[in-house]
Amino acid sequence: MSTQSASQPQTLRRPRWRPGASHVVVAIAVFVLTLLAVLAIFADWIAPYDPLHQDLIHALQWPSAAHWLGTDDLGRDVLSRLIYGCRIAVIAAAEGTSIAVLLGVPLGLFIGYRGGWWDWVVMRLVEAIVSIPGIMVAIVIIAILGAGLHRAMIALGILFSTSFLRLARGVVLAEREEVYVRSARVLGASDRRILLRHIFPNIAPPLIVQVTLTVGAVLLAEAGLSFIGLGVQPPQASWGTMLSTASDFMDLNWFLAIPPGIAILVTVLSVNLLGDVLRDSVGRGIAATAEPETPAARYEAAAPAASGDASLPSPRDDEVLRVEGLQVMVASRDGAGEVPVITDLSLSIARGETLGLVGESGSGKTLTGLAILGLTGAGVRTTRGSIRLNGQELRALSGSQIEKVRGNEVAMVFQDPTTSLNPAFTVGSQIAEVVRAKQGMSGRQAWERAVELIHRVGIPRPAERARSYPHELSGGMAQRIAIARALSCNPSLLIADEPTTALDVTVQQEILDLFRDLQDEFGMAMLFVTHDLAVAADICDRISVMYAGEIVEMAEVDALFSSPRHPYTRGLLSAMPHASDRNPPLPTIRGNVPRPGSWPAGCRFSDRCDFRIPACDRRIALAGIDRSVRCIRADELEVELVS
Amino acid sequence: MSDEALLELRDLQVIYRGRSLLGIGAKPFHAVKGANLTIRAGETLGLVGESGSGKSSIANAVLGLVPAAGGSMRFGDVDLVAMGTRYPPAVRAQIQAVFQDPYSSLNPSMTVEDILTEPLRVHKNMTKAERRARAIELLKLVSLSEEHLGRHPHQFSGGQRQRIAIASALALQPKLIVLDEPVSALDVSTQNQIINLLYERRDALGIAYLLIAHDLALVHHISDRIAVMYLGHIVEQGPADRVYSQPAHPYTRALLDAVPLLDPAEQRARRAKRRTAALPEASRVAEAGCPYRNRCPFAMPRCATEMPPPYPVAGGGVASCFLLDVEGASARAAETELVEP
Repeated sequence: MSTQSASQPQTLRRPRWRPGASHVVVAIAVFVLTLLAVLAIFADWIAPYDPLHQDLIHALQWPSAAHWLGTDDLGRDVLSRLIYGCRIAVIAAAEGTSIAVLLGVPLGLFIGYRGGWWDWVVMRLVEAIVSIPGIMVAIVIIAILGAGLHRAMIALGILFSTSFLRLARGVVLAEREEVYVRSARVLGASDRRILLRHIFPNIAPPLIVQVTLTVGAVLLAEAGLSFIGLGVQPPQASWGTMLSTASDFMDLNWFLAIPPGIAILVTVLSVNLLGDVLRDSVGRGIAATAEPETPAARYEAAAPAASGDASLPSPRDDEVLRVEGLQVMVASRDGAGEVPVITDLSLSIARGETLGLVGESGSGKTLTGLAILGLTGAGVRTTRGSIRLNGQELRALSGSQIEKVRGNEVAMVFQDPTTSLNPAFTVGSQIAEVVRAKQGMSGRQAWERAVELIHRVGIPRPAERARSYPHELSGGMAQRIAIARALSCNPSLLIADEPTTALDVTVQQEILDLFRDLQDEFGMAMLFVTHDLAVAADICDRISVMYAGEIVEMAEVDALFSSPRHPYTRGLLSAMPHASDRNPPLPTIRGNVPRPGSWPAGCRFSDRCDFRIPACDRRIALAGIDRSVRCIRADELEVELVS
Repeated sequence: MSDEALLELRDLQVIYRGRSLLGIGAKPFHAVKGANLTIRAGETLGLVGESGSGKSSIANAVLGLVPAAGGSMRFGDVDLVAMGTRYPPAVRAQIQAVFQDPYSSLNPSMTVEDILTEPLRVHKNMTKAERRARAIELLKLVSLSEEHLGRHPHQFSGGQRQRIAIASALALQPKLIVLDEPVSALDVSTQNQIINLLYERRDALGIAYLLIAHDLALVHHISDRIAVMYLGHIVEQGPADRVYSQPAHPYTRALLDAVPLLDPAEQRARRAKRRTAALPEASRVAEAGCPYRNRCPFAMPRCATEMPPPYPVAGGGVASCFLLDVEGASARAAETELVEP
């Protein structure tokens, strides 16, 4: 299949072009900076004239064959002065930036890691410096040290070190809480070693960006200081002094300002561009995620997975949601086309029914829920299939139409209640907001309805609780609020995505009971996404087991647990902690869940299956009507199990 | 398994002080309120509790990541409490850890070789070749191979990362490994692989584990003894089988009853039973007396005033609950009745 996709020119052209464009930009940036360095080093040989040689007869000339960029007020050759100005620019950037880095980074690392009163004292000092306009600080330092390039750069270095200090401190503060830092401490690594060897490589990317920004800022500041006469002293040539001269003679020869202006612009731009590229390549370990190891098993998009139509659930009268042949694609990380994450997925949920969508991470269960709501996000596309809610095809709706459906007819409860609620508003106002927007109630009515809902989800003293902020509530309490918000418009379908995974078992039990009670009362259909089969056994009427983007088994809850038919379902069941007695080795499923893009071509579980036969290398359809399973040996295995 | 205690905690206290300006307005949080635990060499102690119960605080105190506010921790013949958070290298090398989230516990900028040889660099005087050889040996111990040495953590799945974390913890041949929720971030199908690996390595290398988890069912598979924590107190401890099959403390029973079963019919029966016996909503935190009394269906007036001491439980271990005192008293009464006539 890799050869197949490689032979398609359309999928190839885009990725080739895109890195190409950024390569050109990088090449230009590198060229500009190399040119700058060469000019700085070899200025004595390259410059056509002595930059200090005056020729008052030929002052303020426009560009000509003899003077390519013309001459200045004293008849000095502008091109030569520009070339010598490179030298000043390089020295200034190197000096100013390295002083800033050497001063700011170690101090920032130290106070960020150590904290305490060190941190307090240094930060107050830095804040004092930062609160004064930068150029004034520089002028004060220069007033003390005296004018001149090197002194000006020391002043700028001190000034810019504050931004390195704050940045280094900030990233260390975040990084030192990481678990790998704890691991390093447990190892017995010294503080110095932890800072330099463990933390530093991870905070280098933002520092590199800061370096390039600083180089640009130093160049500009040097030009500025020279412009006002505090940096490079005339008659020496620097871009800043050249601009300063140009400003005096704006009326007579405006062109004088162009060469140094463009030089500053192009140099600063190149440095910043290069910084971005450097950051991305250094941050490789953090920014990039893994590529599928074998691109060989790309899904054949043309083949409609061995016509799963036979296994479609038969239409029922009280059906709320009906999904048929859903396929979702994700843009692959290397930019080479798309990788399927959900294929040939069909399900149906009736009024008052709970369907469990069970699977491990990467199986596509969460994405299924989001795809139904049309909330898949950037880079993810639903490419095939139909999603019908109460008979209405959701995929045919426009953006604003589907927005009306969300919240009114479908609602969702997420895994982590503390992040799904907005921390800036009281919980009552978050529920009232939904009611007002969707049902057009007045503010007062909406608030009353919110309090009523909060009471309904079993929270004592609801009027008081409505005024609390999410962080003031426990995890279980916050999840109850999230449920109340989801139910505020009486949806016909509730999608719950791992709603109890972040909770303690005793709280989980309460929340599951609440879901059951609410369903009895409101009669909504529920799609319950979970990785925990035992939770599914508790709450669901029917269960669909997902593996690698497809449903491998679908059955009534009692039937599934009493006689699982797919080898994967069986494996999962026997691997549950309370399924077996003491004494390891505990039963396992060998191998790992394959990532999208590296699924086996035939049965996707075949690599890990103990019952594999050669016929498993072909795609296998989900077979059976009420009780369906995607395994060609299911019948055989069942007989084996019984006997 | 020897009888000598490897790690002995006596009345351990851990208190966190809130960070605030110059210590004004900081509210101290009492995370561990007098824990007594013993781990013998080569033994696994499972420490179970819900979030906020203080189980991770005990782990952090043992690892020297947070200072103990009181009590004692004896490891072999050294007192860990006296050393604060600055353990000498010899002690550090003996106590290692595997943390919950294998996605953040491995340094993203290091290769597997860097990660596995880092402990050797810190503690041992080995040449580069020796370190590499040891790293390969360690990878084999966790069923990974030499080819993985040059890769970065992001190139591995969760289960493989946890294997790398275990290999790194084994590098210095420690006597005790603190396992802080080692499998709760993993998929069901890989969880057991890691549990089996931990079990195998323990038997082969004679390491003791302090296994911290929230799932009693999972812990009982590889623990010799289990301790159950609630709001900073250890409310019950004893042999793993006894605690799992005959819990003595009402909280342990509640924990076990809350774990969903794989049997839907049994689940329905349980739910029906729960509906009839609903408890009044009350604060989880009890100020005085037994910490569990607000949620306990068997709470007595006595529970509100006195903190129950640990009572011995038939079958081994102790549980801090007055019910046992009552049972004990009736048993004693029965005995005296038998004797009297």
